Amino acid sequence: MSVPVIYTIRGCDACVKLLSKWEAEGRVWEERRVELSQATLDEARRYGDMVPIVVWPDGRVEQGFEGSLGCFL
Amino acid sequence: MVRMPTATSVVTPARYEQGLTYADFLAQTVVNRDKFEQNYQNAPLSEDDLAYFRKAAARPGGPAKILAIAEAWCGDVYRELPTVARIAEATGMDLRVFPRDLNPDIMDQFLSNEGKSRAIPVFVFYTKDMRYLTHFTERSALAHAELAAVAEQVKSKLNLPQTATFANLPEADRQVFLRELIAGILPRSEAWRKEAIREMRELL
Repeated sequence: MSVPVIYTIRGCDACVKLLSKWEAEGRVWEERRVELSQATLDEARRYGDMVPIVVWPDGRVEQGFEGSLGCFL
Repeated sequence: MVRMPTATSVVTPARYEQGLTYADFLAQTVVNRDKFEQNYQNAPLSEDDLAYFRKAAARPGGPAKILAIAEAWCGDVYRELPTVARIAEATGMDLRVFPRDLNPDIMDQFLSNEGKSRAIPVFVFYTKDMRYLTHFTERSALAHAELAAVAEQVKSKLNLPQTATFANLPEADRQVFLRELIAGILPRSEAWRKEAIREMRELL
């Protein structure tokens, strides 16, 4: 994994804010939408209970986005 | 929980009929089917609860239709919607589910947090002739209070200042705070389910 992976739900306000900010900053990432597949949702739950979940290449995991709590999975 | 009259102009009888039955909602759901099924089977409804809701439904002008705004990926939804499905079945109330993100106009009429949040689930109760009665949003007042209390406990445990919020913490502290907060509230899920039932009884 060379870029951060972001687990998102498109209906989640915190996810949308994070994606908008990263897009504006020109960052590169891989988005995995958990609402589209049970397998992806199960994968996200290995890292946390609330999207957005960012898994960095060095293994660090972050949930939520800045001042916004995300959505419970 | 919100108890207030709400404009429901977009929810005409014809629109209501377009909502998904609970079975159809589950059929088009791609995630969390196991959790919906589990929470349907073990819904914490007592005989007294069911008798209360049956009596309310039998009242002239009592609740006859329930509009649920939901999304299957949401933890609050799979915690509470199966219980409401059981209430509907036991009382003869009609339940129609509207996916939130496909029905923004309906969601906009039931915003919470002073109009800033699209929190779900929302359960809107109507009479047989579609007069609005009341609605329940997301989780009970007790659940909100416990969430706040757990947040305070986590602050103390982590020696964070009382002024600390999720928004103003440094990222590293924020992640620890969030993990501790989630660990603190997950065991409360069953109590929150029962409290949601109690609040819906009060509303009706």
